[in-house]
Amino acid sequence: MTWDIGRREALAAIGGSLLLGNAARAETPQSGGTLNVGLVNDAKTYDPIYSVEFSERVVLYLVFNTLVKYAPDFSIRPELAKSWETSPDGKRIVFTLQDGVTFHDGTPFNADAVKWNIEKRLDPAVQSPQRNLLAPIIASIEILDPQRVAFNLTQPSPGIFSLLGDRPGFMVSPTAWQKLGKDFGGQPVGTGAFKFKEWVRGSQVTLEKSPNYWEKGLPYLDRIMVRDLAGSVVGLQRLLTGEIDYVGELTPSDIVPLERRTDIVLAPIKVGRWYFLQWHVNAAPFDNAKLRLAFAHAIDRGRINDITMRGKGTVSNGPTPEGLWWYDPSIRSFDYDPAKAKALLTEAGYPNGFDAVLATPQVTMFQQLDQLLQEQLAAVGIRLTLPPVAASEWYSKVVNGTTNMTPSRWTQRADPDGLLTILFDSKGFANTMKYSNPQVDALLQQARTTYDIPTRKRLYTEVQQMIVNDLPMMPLIFSAEYGALRSNVRGFEWIPDQIPRFREVWKA
Amino acid sequence: MIRPGLIIGPLAIATTMIVAILAPEISPHSPYRSSVDMLALPSPAHLLGTDDLGRDIASRVIYGARTSLTIGFGATIVAMAIGIPLGLTAGYIRGRVDTVLVALIDLFIALPGLVLALIITVMVGPTLRNLVLVLGFVMWPPIARLVRGQALAVRETVFVEAARAIGGSRAWIIRRHVWPNILPVVASQFAVSVSFAIFTSASLSFLGLGIPAPTADWGGMVRSGYDYLAINPLMSLAPGAAVTFTVMGFYVFGASFK
Repeated sequence: MTWDIGRREALAAIGGSLLLGNAARAETPQSGGTLNVGLVNDAKTYDPIYSVEFSERVVLYLVFNTLVKYAPDFSIRPELAKSWETSPDGKRIVFTLQDGVTFHDGTPFNADAVKWNIEKRLDPAVQSPQRNLLAPIIASIEILDPQRVAFNLTQPSPGIFSLLGDRPGFMVSPTAWQKLGKDFGGQPVGTGAFKFKEWVRGSQVTLEKSPNYWEKGLPYLDRIMVRDLAGSVVGLQRLLTGEIDYVGELTPSDIVPLERRTDIVLAPIKVGRWYFLQWHVNAAPFDNAKLRLAFAHAIDRGRINDITMRGKGTVSNGPTPEGLWWYDPSIRSFDYDPAKAKALLTEAGYPNGFDAVLATPQVTMFQQLDQLLQEQLAAVGIRLTLPPVAASEWYSKVVNGTTNMTPSRWTQRADPDGLLTILFDSKGFANTMKYSNPQVDALLQQARTTYDIPTRKRLYTEVQQMIVNDLPMMPLIFSAEYGALRSNVRGFEWIPDQIPRFREVWKA
Repeated sequence: MIRPGLIIGPLAIATTMIVAILAPEISPHSPYRSSVDMLALPSPAHLLGTDDLGRDIASRVIYGARTSLTIGFGATIVAMAIGIPLGLTAGYIRGRVDTVLVALIDLFIALPGLVLALIITVMVGPTLRNLVLVLGFVMWPPIARLVRGQALAVRETVFVEAARAIGGSRAWIIRRHVWPNILPVVASQFAVSVSFAIFTSASLSFLGLGIPAPTADWGGMVRSGYDYLAINPLMSLAPGAAVTFTVMGFYVFGASFK
């Protein structure tokens, strides 16, 4: 059976019953077996305190638990914290922890461990990359009793839950971390469903079932092997031969050869990666608002979606895709109108056309985007050259400012404050557009300290429309991407952060 | 008996050149216009199908001949312009000049051409002009060595000795007596060098250091088609065959002189 479903149907699945879940529901999960996961792996460390690479989290979510977890719609569910209470002023959250949980090395998981974990990340001497996420909002951690721990906050911070479902929330065994020191990243110890067995760098990671895992009945699999792939297309061949059971990050074109296979099941992601075109908004030539507007009206996002995503992605009108609670259909970007773009270009002071350089990272999707943008912009007199940039050098050049105009992409965070602040706050660490709007900063600050969801949503709608109008970037599309699984793999479900979770997977 | 290379070679070269010159007339479509008919298989409308952006592969292969020949001839002319004067000087004058030049030539020949081209291209950035210059720079040493060897042999012949005896200047002797005798070898090397330049630029493109998109460039097309081998293999195979055909043509032609 093939799950080549459209965007709308994929979205309909969010929050409700899941496609693959439906298939699984009819059957009782079976225990045993080995799952072979193919992954384009750039892992440097499996120490959650130091983790930065995207792919590391595939293994981290198996070896560790987080304090809270994300549901398939990005809402927050209990994990190591079984419940919590927020004080009326929003500045204190008391977490009640699961009973009887131990780390793989026998160390008990309790309030002490939570305090130790958060304080390690906050300690400047430890130099955890998560410090700059936590330090502004956490004032202190207080142990109330072995099963209860209080987070005292500097300001009301609804975004803290999404942080505790990601890297800052992975609970590490304090004993093992102190004993192993630098070696912890190669032999991590957590409370997760699988124990870390072995890491052959550049080849594979072996994980084995934790026999006394605290979530009843889990996990089903005996072993998970995470095998390094040179690329998803190579992975596809290994999937077809049955050598691996899963490969991800497949494009709508990649899956064309799979569409009639009965031994492969496709799992479309629910919320796409956001693609946009960015530039230095505060310096010449792009500080010229009419020039930016000319670009915006010259771009045909529908056609970009039709060609790069075979029409299976969605056109982006702003940073948030349909399916997340802070999405608002009223947010509109600029319509495709080449005649208007041409007129604006003249008004902007470029009656004879405009020449610019668009960086071209050597990544298939960016190369395709750039060529389509070049074609569309040429039609209104904007001439782009596309110098290739090595994929490994591209982002550092964007960060240090040598690259001005470039395509860009981000995955969604579980809280709106995540992406919107890092990209568009004046002080956001990924604000490589050098965008600064005091009103946007103020609205973001207000929204990030508000717990009430309808109020927050209203604030985020306002701020997103403001950002879209200012054009520090032109939103393009949200991608369609797929995971492909052998048809006997059951219980797989996407979370919108696009990190595949295998904890509850089983093999028929 | 005529060597087959003298027939096959010129035929292949002429075909590529005619295709390059007539590209706008014989291309069924624009090589740059995208369409929503992506990765289509061959059909009467698109004889070789379409690529990942819905562009006509046949038209892109045809236009790619222009890029390849420009690089092939351009780089070879640059290499000859450096290699021939240096080789003649070293071979005819000999002495300390020769020792120094031979050391320099050997130094460059010891470095693999593709690796050297790769490093320089990364530094200067891949544009059509830079690629021509970089490949020319990488290709001059073998030419200089060949010319030097020939000059060495010719300078010992009786007619050169006679020219010297009647008081001919060095420049005159090189021009009138040495150069004409080396010309056939240089011509054969020219063809071999063009094939090397086309092949190396295709390799650079395949490694992501070719002419910037969207220029129709065979090496770059082979590379971008690699992801879609299972859907339309012609996206890689057609430009790959074009490279093979052209490189073979020049090489066979050059080699058949030797």
